[in-house]
Amino acid sequence: MVAYLFKIVGLGLLDALALAACILFGLDANFIFAGSVATGILLLNWLAFSRRSYPFRYLVPGLFFLAAMVVYPIIYTTYIALTNYSTGHILTKQQSIEQFTQREYAPPQLRHFAFTAFLNQHGMLTAVLLRSKEKEFVVFRDGHWEPVEGHELVDEDGDSTVDRLDGWTRMERRDLGAYIGELQTLRVPFEDGWLRMATLTEFRLFLPCYVYDPTQDILVDQQTGNVYRPVKGQFTTGDGEVLDPGWMEYVGFRNFIRLVTTPRYRGPFLRVFLWTVEWALFTVLVSFVLGLALAILLNDPKMRVRKVYRSLVIIPWVLPSFISILVWKGFFNTEFGLFNQLLRSWFGIAVPWLVESFWARFSLILMNVWLTYPYMMVVSLGALQSIPDELHEAARVDGATPWQRFQRITLPLLMISIAPLLVGSFATTFNNFNVVWLLTEGGPVVRIGEPAGATDILISYAYKLAFLGTRGNEMALSSAVAVVIFLVILTISAVSFRYTRVLEKVSRGL
Amino acid sequence: MAYKNSNRSRLGKRFLRHLLAWLAIAFAIFPALYILGTSFNASNSISTTGIIPQHPTLEHYRSLICDPNHPFFLWTWNTIKVSGITAGATVFLCALGAYALSRFRFRGRRAGLLAVLLVQMFPQTLGMVAIFLMMAWLSNIVPWLGINTHSGLILVYLGGAMGFNTWLMKGFFDSIPRSLEESAMLDGATPFQAFRRIILPLSRPILAVVFVIQFIASYSEYMLASILLKGKEMYTLSVGMRLFVTQHYDDRWGPFAAAGVMGSIIVLIVFYALQRQIVSGLTRGATKG
Repeated sequence: MVAYLFKIVGLGLLDALALAACILFGLDANFIFAGSVATGILLLNWLAFSRRSYPFRYLVPGLFFLAAMVVYPIIYTTYIALTNYSTGHILTKQQSIEQFTQREYAPPQLRHFAFTAFLNQHGMLTAVLLRSKEKEFVVFRDGHWEPVEGHELVDEDGDSTVDRLDGWTRMERRDLGAYIGELQTLRVPFEDGWLRMATLTEFRLFLPCYVYDPTQDILVDQQTGNVYRPVKGQFTTGDGEVLDPGWMEYVGFRNFIRLVTTPRYRGPFLRVFLWTVEWALFTVLVSFVLGLALAILLNDPKMRVRKVYRSLVIIPWVLPSFISILVWKGFFNTEFGLFNQLLRSWFGIAVPWLVESFWARFSLILMNVWLTYPYMMVVSLGALQSIPDELHEAARVDGATPWQRFQRITLPLLMISIAPLLVGSFATTFNNFNVVWLLTEGGPVVRIGEPAGATDILISYAYKLAFLGTRGNEMALSSAVAVVIFLVILTISAVSFRYTRVLEKVSRGL
Repeated sequence: MAYKNSNRSRLGKRFLRHLLAWLAIAFAIFPALYILGTSFNASNSISTTGIIPQHPTLEHYRSLICDPNHPFFLWTWNTIKVSGITAGATVFLCALGAYALSRFRFRGRRAGLLAVLLVQMFPQTLGMVAIFLMMAWLSNIVPWLGINTHSGLILVYLGGAMGFNTWLMKGFFDSIPRSLEESAMLDGATPFQAFRRIILPLSRPILAVVFVIQFIASYSEYMLASILLKGKEMYTLSVGMRLFVTQHYDDRWGPFAAAGVMGSIIVLIVFYALQRQIVSGLTRGATKG
């Protein structure tokens, strides 16, 4: 009863709060926020009061994180892949136009206005008197101005400077420092441009460099008369001259086309794609063979210390991977590393481990096998132990050799439970950013200026494009690569679901 | 004669087995041993260290602790905080979700199962650009959840942890017989009470497994941490240690080894304390599909 009361009161308070937030956001014309708050609170109320929602009370917290941090980012990434989002194309078109129309230049015929600032009785800047040869007017803090005629000017000491304006006192020159920040932000619309403080004593007229014409969607350069039209997210003249910054816009499949047709990206992309597949295949196969061999070795009941052996052999799985990878990186160091030291003292040779493409790939796979085989061993052990002994016994009675028994009984039975894990492992390795990045950073360089190195896999390539681009950050292209990975995984999942029974189990309701 | 011969070959086989096992063990642990030796070795350069230190010293540990530019302990603390909170929250949230998926029958359950199964195939890192932009946006609205905050990083990690772990736990819950809860519910227990009093105590092993798996995963995560954490004092170990050693294998090898030893200890302890449950939980959950 108390709990129920508590729930009602608590939810009531939350509802009130949400309603207030909705109204505030709504008044701010921030309808996305108002909408999401409203949806959220309605959902909460439904969860709390509907009988049918009971199971969802358990599911919603987890689903929230899954939706917000995995599903939504994937959808958002797909959207970015269809835009031109990158350095120079980050603003909206509106923001970009604003940037251009606010750029200014001083006309060849300078127009100067000497200024005098006036403070109210609290010492706040209230008005500025601007005076040129032909014109005199009063500017207020919000930027609007009025002709001087309607205002009362008083010269108290007769030195031909105005000392009081409408009862406000003149700011002394020595106080300029205190007000200069405020004065500099004043922008007074005037004729075709605006006035603003240009030196310590005067305002000047500035004209906009560009004027935007919304009816024709063009931008006109006021000095040269050049006409810029929007082309590919940037204002461009007929001669192909472009203005920075551009804006973000929807470009359809252009990123994907760029990825497979432009020479700068096509070569690296195909190479990276192939290598990613090779890398995942080799790692999974070699580590599985090694893991299975060890599992068979350490599953022998005659070996009394096998449990101790097992705990020692899985060490690579247990150590935090980033530490062991950095240690291996030290071992592979060409000059000082352990491996080359040993090779030098034994055979007098040195191997360019992480320096040459082939050896870098070799090192990467070697190390990743080291990292992965303990997992393979552990799951193989589990599967081996679940194979009934009678089968082996029967085969032995029929005179099968150990190899035949392995081939005909162990392996097929093992594969039933291990195959899905191998597929999962393939998918994980396919995207194992940590290993590649911490060991080689995708290097060595294949061709100077090319965005991808010899050991870059798709996801590290995407990372480089988005966050470490030499020509700015190519977020959209990076997202396009991510979408490619996404499709590959989708295919793998579809195939593996087809061949395993997981889906049937799901549809039967387990 | 024949008897003796077969005895000898059996001995030979046994010897071979142990030899192979020891070879595998050597392959598995040499980096760990080497780093342990280096951390106590007086020399600092990678080229002059060996497994067995000539003149054991704690110099590297001392210099690591005193390094003002690389606050190793702060990084360790950051990592433990982020991974610990992530793992704890993961256990709680996934247990709730898995219980609903395992015990309740409701419309949308099949779709939910399928969604979880599918989503857990996709690594969260695929959405890195979107996650970065989302967090940058969040920084403007709720600064303490945005870029360069641990709470923001935890938020992101939690999302990535939900799919696989919920699936794993559901598999375990399915294997607990329902009769226990049913009798409790006949006595008037609500489903939540049944969950808390019966299911949770019975599934302690899987809770431990999920905690450890998630703890280790967050502990080693590099990419998202490197995108989201900008200040040196906010780094986690993976980001910090990479910064510490990458360009300095020649002059920071000793302190790096010390850091590696200290950074690994906590994970080693946690893992070996729960080794049995982890191995059985993983194979069980996984092979159950």
